[in-house]
Amino acid sequence: MSTTCFHCGQANPAETPFTVTLLGERRELCCPGCEAVATAIKENGLEDYYQFRTEKAAKGDASILASLDALSVYDDPALQEDFVYQTDDIKQIQLTIEGITCAACGWLIEKQLSRVSGIQQVAVNVGERRALVSWQASNITLSLILKTLQKIGYKALPFEPDEHEKSFKAENNRFLKRLGLAGLMTMQVMMLMAALYFDWFGNIDQDTKQYFYWVSLVLTTPVVFYSGSVFYIGALKALSARSVNMDVPISIAVLATFFAGVKSTVLAQGEAYFESICMFIFLLLLSRYLEHSSRHRAATISANLQQFVPVTANILDETNTPIRGLAKSLRPGQHVLVKAGETIPVDGIIIEGAADIDESMLTGEFEPVNKQVGDTAYGGTINRVGNVIIKVEKTLKEALVNQIIRIQTTAMAGKPKAAQMADIFSQYFVVAVLLIALSSYLYWTIQGSEQAFWIAIAVLVATCPCALGLATPSALTCAMAKLNKNGILLKRAEALEQVNSIDLIALDKTGTLTEGKFILHHTWITEDVSLEQACRVAATLESRSEHPIANAFISEELLALNNFKVTPGYGVSGDIDGKHYKIGSATFTSAHHCGFPKQANVFLQRNDVCIAAFEVTDKLKSDVAETLRLLDQRLIILSGDQLKQVQHVAREVGITEYYGGHTPEQKYQLVQSFQQQGHKVMMLGDGINDTPVLASSHVSVAVGNATDVAKSTADVILLKDKINLLPQLFRVSRQTRKIIRQNIMWAVGYNLCILPFAVSGLLSPWMAVIGMSLSSIIVVTNSTRILK
Amino acid sequence: MSIIYVLIPLAVIIIALAIAVFFWAVKSKQFEDLDRQGYNILFDDDLSAEEKKLADERKKRNE
Repeated sequence: MSTTCFHCGQANPAETPFTVTLLGERRELCCPGCEAVATAIKENGLEDYYQFRTEKAAKGDASILASLDALSVYDDPALQEDFVYQTDDIKQIQLTIEGITCAACGWLIEKQLSRVSGIQQVAVNVGERRALVSWQASNITLSLILKTLQKIGYKALPFEPDEHEKSFKAENNRFLKRLGLAGLMTMQVMMLMAALYFDWFGNIDQDTKQYFYWVSLVLTTPVVFYSGSVFYIGALKALSARSVNMDVPISIAVLATFFAGVKSTVLAQGEAYFESICMFIFLLLLSRYLEHSSRHRAATISANLQQFVPVTANILDETNTPIRGLAKSLRPGQHVLVKAGETIPVDGIIIEGAADIDESMLTGEFEPVNKQVGDTAYGGTINRVGNVIIKVEKTLKEALVNQIIRIQTTAMAGKPKAAQMADIFSQYFVVAVLLIALSSYLYWTIQGSEQAFWIAIAVLVATCPCALGLATPSALTCAMAKLNKNGILLKRAEALEQVNSIDLIALDKTGTLTEGKFILHHTWITEDVSLEQACRVAATLESRSEHPIANAFISEELLALNNFKVTPGYGVSGDIDGKHYKIGSATFTSAHHCGFPKQANVFLQRNDVCIAAFEVTDKLKSDVAETLRLLDQRLIILSGDQLKQVQHVAREVGITEYYGGHTPEQKYQLVQSFQQQGHKVMMLGDGINDTPVLASSHVSVAVGNATDVAKSTADVILLKDKINLLPQLFRVSRQTRKIIRQNIMWAVGYNLCILPFAVSGLLSPWMAVIGMSLSSIIVVTNSTRILK
Repeated sequence: MSIIYVLIPLAVIIIALAIAVFFWAVKSKQFEDLDRQGYNILFDDDLSAEEKKLADERKKRNE
């Protein structure tokens, strides 16, 4: 009996009925979803996956498998226009794939797809969780490809990387080429020059030395003009904007050393430091590349969240027959049928029927709102109970959800920026370096020293902030890798520095602190009924209801039920054992006459007499209270839910400050007022209603089960839907700050100590380069301590 | 020592080739997914049925 699922590694039920024979043994699985996925993998002869994988798979989702047919909307040519590239009969698409956990997943996907006839090429990128697929349009449809992937447990969606990312990628490739060229050439030049340096006995004659110089010159030229071009361009940009940056002294040192080297080679007298130039450029490029790719990685993963999810709608034509179409093609005035359980495609007015609509994504309140004919239904909300026909009021572009996203964008623009201290500091630093170099050159020239030029170069190289440049990016890269391994995704590297200054944490309630599911908290009964009887009747009535509150009532034994009736928004009623029962809100039953405590929010009534009352609340996530106790910042709860519910949760987790019934706009204003009082605010949230406030806070954290919009706004994403990762985030950020400080102290300290030697002419340029390299290596090694 | 007049240019040519290969590798996106390719060699699915059986037997014996 195995206690965990062979497929996904989650806990198995006690007597699991789900088994599949894999790798020659009977394996137990946790759910029908995993069973279906494992069977599909086996049937396709890809069992080897289980042998190769290094991580367990993502949990199989039976409901996705059931909804495979809905994928056929992706075959709509109007929809494909946006993200499919077609040349003749070959179509190509980029997909983001959810559920990739290790390299074996890439193998599994490629094998599975390459067996489908009509597929031309599949390339899976495990790091980015994406795949590039091309297929013959006449042979196979896109929906079939997506279905094939879902059957083996991967949810794939079309995706279009934005312009920003494309340019990032091109830039990354250019960096790699420059770096590779510089690295390979440095090795060669170093080899030649080492021969000259170690010629202690003077055995190398002048001709050979000259020959070595010429070869080195040939090898160094591409490094200077191709690899080093980044710095000259940066320097020119800064100079044309009438300012200076680090690129200026770097460019001067590189070009001056190079041309001096060319001069000595051509004239066959004097010295050349070609190996120093190469190594200098190589190390500087390395630090730039590290910085660039750490930003790149975070950006790519967060871009995956902006996948293309078309919302479909049942459009009614003149004869009132529903036709499946795309929400983006809806025009005002059209009629749309929305069945129970479906998402309302766009904003509109209900013209027929009534429905309980879950607007939690907009308001944060998870109790559905009853809507009748004439009420406005908002796009993106979910119809829980009842079928309605909606007259489209606005196109998708103007829908309310999009409006919230728009508030978020404005809030993002006003986000407090990370201090630009480093930039200002580096400006002064550069000016100082240039002045020192120039004055030592002038001083030694006046003194009549032949070495004046090389002393100035040594000053420029010795003070080059290479280690300083590596100090922050290398520490941040290590911290991000460490956090990523523990299930914390950092989208903006600077956020890590800001985490340290946080003194106020605002928490959303539903979905962040609580699970967003109802549970029965307390039951009161009158003398007329036993507790068991009351629960059984309630469970029987609620078993027919689709309201989320119904899930709170569970009984093993249900009674026979007649005349069942739903009164949307109020409650349900029915006959059991010849008696008429009603269960629902206080106004639905005659509860206000019975004197139950005021926490009660669901009442049970028999033949006009109230017999029981229940308090149904949302269940708190496990270890929330313990986690919050570990945090020493000021904590507040900020919720869209009713104040009473918020108060209850606040008391349970021990938070004294709470705000209930806030709209997204109010939440945003409240956080802003805190910020104006000088607080550094961190916001934790999960819903669309949290996005404006997430965008405006100093650091925003989206919890694992958050909506995609919330995730795309947040700076930090917790990959598990628990907040117990939070203390770890604070710990790593504190450690990172410490390491960054050590690095900067070392780098600055080294530069200051070496300066007198360079100015006094004791240091030749090649020594300066070696010192600088050692200093960089120390900084990088120090940063890797975070990984441990 | 005149041999260096042959060997060093040869080294330069080889290094030029190495750089060309490296540029080609970057261009053909071989550096895009460094997590994945390292494992590919371990997936012995490209063996023929016969060889695979032998590999499995060897694995069992080692366990």
